[in-house]
Amino acid sequence: MKQFKYIGKRFQREDSLERAEGKTKFLADCKRLNMLYGKLILSEHAHADFQLDTEEALKVPGVYKILTYEDIPHVAYNSMEWFTGIQAQRDEYILNERARFVGDRIGLILAESKEACEKAWCKVKVQYQDLPVVADLQTAQEDRILVRGKTNLAYEKNIGYGDLANAEAEADFIVEDRGSTPRTHHLAIEPHIAMAEVDDFGNLVVYSPGQVVFAAQMQLSRILHLSYARIRVIKCNMGGSFGGKQQPLLELTAGVAAWLTQRPVQIYMNRRESMIGTFTRNGTEARVATAVRKDGKILERKVDTCFDGGAYDTNNTSIVNAYAKKLFRLYRIPAQEFHGRAYYTDKTPGGACRAYGGPQNHAITEVNIDHAARVIGMDPCEFRLKNLVEPYDADPVGGPNLGKAAVKECLRKGMEAFHWKEKYAHIREQNNDRYAYGVGVACADHGNGYFGAFPEFTNVEMILHPDGTALVKIAVHEQGCGTLDSLRLTAAEALDLAPEKITITEADTLLTPYDSAGTQASRVTFVSSGAILQAGNQLREKIFQTLHEVEKIEPDLLYTDNGTVKVKGSDKTYTYGEIATLREKKMFDPLSVYIHYEPHSNPAAYAVSFAQVKVDKKTGLVEVQKLLAVHDIGQAVNPTLVEGQIQGGAQFILGMALSEELVYDSKGNVKNSSLSKYHTLNVQDMPPVDIILVESHDESSPFGVKSVGEMSAVAPGPAVVNAINHALGTELTDYPLTPERIIEALEQKG
Amino acid sequence: MKIRAVVNGAAVEKEIDGSKRLIDFLREDLGLTGTKEGCSEGECGACTVILNGEAVPSCLVLAGQIQGGEILTIEGLEKNGELDLLQKKFISHGAIQCGFCTPGFLMSAKALFMKNPHPSSEEIRRAIEGNICRCTGYIKIVEAIEDAAKEME
Repeated sequence: MKQFKYIGKRFQREDSLERAEGKTKFLADCKRLNMLYGKLILSEHAHADFQLDTEEALKVPGVYKILTYEDIPHVAYNSMEWFTGIQAQRDEYILNERARFVGDRIGLILAESKEACEKAWCKVKVQYQDLPVVADLQTAQEDRILVRGKTNLAYEKNIGYGDLANAEAEADFIVEDRGSTPRTHHLAIEPHIAMAEVDDFGNLVVYSPGQVVFAAQMQLSRILHLSYARIRVIKCNMGGSFGGKQQPLLELTAGVAAWLTQRPVQIYMNRRESMIGTFTRNGTEARVATAVRKDGKILERKVDTCFDGGAYDTNNTSIVNAYAKKLFRLYRIPAQEFHGRAYYTDKTPGGACRAYGGPQNHAITEVNIDHAARVIGMDPCEFRLKNLVEPYDADPVGGPNLGKAAVKECLRKGMEAFHWKEKYAHIREQNNDRYAYGVGVACADHGNGYFGAFPEFTNVEMILHPDGTALVKIAVHEQGCGTLDSLRLTAAEALDLAPEKITITEADTLLTPYDSAGTQASRVTFVSSGAILQAGNQLREKIFQTLHEVEKIEPDLLYTDNGTVKVKGSDKTYTYGEIATLREKKMFDPLSVYIHYEPHSNPAAYAVSFAQVKVDKKTGLVEVQKLLAVHDIGQAVNPTLVEGQIQGGAQFILGMALSEELVYDSKGNVKNSSLSKYHTLNVQDMPPVDIILVESHDESSPFGVKSVGEMSAVAPGPAVVNAINHALGTELTDYPLTPERIIEALEQKG
Repeated sequence: MKIRAVVNGAAVEKEIDGSKRLIDFLREDLGLTGTKEGCSEGECGACTVILNGEAVPSCLVLAGQIQGGEILTIEGLEKNGELDLLQKKFISHGAIQCGFCTPGFLMSAKALFMKNPHPSSEEIRRAIEGNICRCTGYIKIVEAIEDAAKEME
């Protein structure tokens, strides 16, 4: 293994000082001269035609205008599309003529102050003519009531491989589970917001606390019929996203409003509006049937899943495909079949959400794996070990090779550290009338970007300045997880330069080179650090070439040492800054490179979680007492940040397992659109999280790295559910396992 | 009404609508934007400030209620150009990710330390149970506060 100078060491984040001081400016902290505030009027009915009576609202002092669909370019878009090569169904509009979910955009108040916006909002009267509502997947599938068009079926996908009939014939058992996962809210603590203005040259400038500046530019270009060159989208500070800000939304509203009014416009949302009026994780209902042999070999698996797509087509294709591909990269199963269908419902559109489909997929399949192990009387870890993938296995449906997959090593190390065998055999001996104890395990896989599915590349400009500092122009979006700091360490490694001398930019369509897909799909550390490594290597060559040409030193004699170049057998030293000056002075060229980078692999990342729970049989409350997260991370760039991802990922997905769900009634109303009613884990609910990093160093990856941010938010969920089922002897598969559901299951069990 | 209060150690006198929320008074009238708004109902804790020694969600307090009182916000934590011990520990422990909830956590922890410089782990958890963080899983935040508690004079 290569020894790194910077990678793998604990560095403090450069941006944490201003965050600790409260000096970081988020968009809500920014104002522009002559700026208008914008507040959307969101529908309170799930499916309805409507008339807005704005007469009283317009009288509120400071109200500038109230826009409806008639004032806005009537151009349909699909906010999931991130480049021009994708064409999904385009059925979203900035403002809508008919409301199709509670939270749909039916008007936009523009005013000189937030106060005026809020006052006007209270005075807007909306008359609704209700239409029939599709509020759940079952109603959607019946096709009696249609959200739009001729059917509610929005997207369907079948994919599989192997000889299913043969596998079934050979099987001793077919173990089937039905289960469901909820719609959840991303809950970035910063509510959705965006700002736009027209600059001194007449160009539209949009400030986006999002993940895809180039996609926002593309969408606005289409909607406004304005050339790309006249639209600049700048990533600004963001208070968390988790996929919730992955589809441009208020960027488009603000962009259009600023263009129409030719004034700066800031569109803001409050918590409720963010919860109902943006995107949510897609809810799913799944049936999983696994054919197993008594000796523990899985022969076949069929997965049939329905996805609650919401009112617009948005991410229907993405969620089905993202969910499907993760089914084929975890176990060696000779034959598999997946059937997925996404349906329109009169609910908030589904969208990207941390680990895209992985949490839903593994939520049910990993509980089914435990179920199968029980049926054949095998330890669930041993059963997994018998079936998990091996390094360099092929993807059976033609995806990229799995690379140096170390999931078995993760499982083995975790079993040992968790004292799995002993706990699994004996923990229930502590059970008493009130409390039940159990342990559970779950495995999960994830990717590293789009190689194998979509265009995957990024361009980078790397500049060494005469003062010895480096600027890396690259279109990444810091979401809070420390992307910029991770990349700074990879640049430090690539350039042999101290991290504090390196600046990594955030995405800006005017200033940073084009990037194929934005900060999504766990692609950034894997793809961008590859680009940075390539750029760094080329820049180092240029450094040597400069000294060769100007100082006539043979390149073979040169080596770098922390921002300087030394000459073997001599005490001569040149700083990078001096070399930049030499190059400009003697060679009429700045010391910089501009490169295009494409990864040529997409190894699977893996995680295995172990959970220990204590269930109160009287109240149904679950206490997660211990969590162990083992990650095949390839190579940790900054272990402190990696731990932060894993601990935060656990908070995220334990919520889906235990308490988080947007609850809808039959009329499509969201019953818990506030944080007092939507229960996420607070500090008291969080278990201690032990972490083991398995650094497998995938050879095809820059520095050996693999993804972690999304990967961390998958396995703890099913591990906890398996632990609860172990404790109680239940077969619960409907997430979240709220106290009500647990009590109901115990009562049914008798 | 005329509001008189001490904000971050400085006397403040302003003519305002007394029914204005404290968060709006701080952010808009005083330009103290370090205090963040995340839920507007006192559930997320992002807007926590210290009012007369108590941590309060400034979205649920009216500006009129601070009359004659003393307010400490995130901007007032640093003293003479030196970070508060809690700020230093949040940075060194990696307790900050997106940073939107950070000021609220720091103020909740500061209010605890003002009353009890040597809190137990359980007291620390109690003090920040009203603050939501979606990034960190709270673990490094608790570690940072525990470490600060150890070093408190």
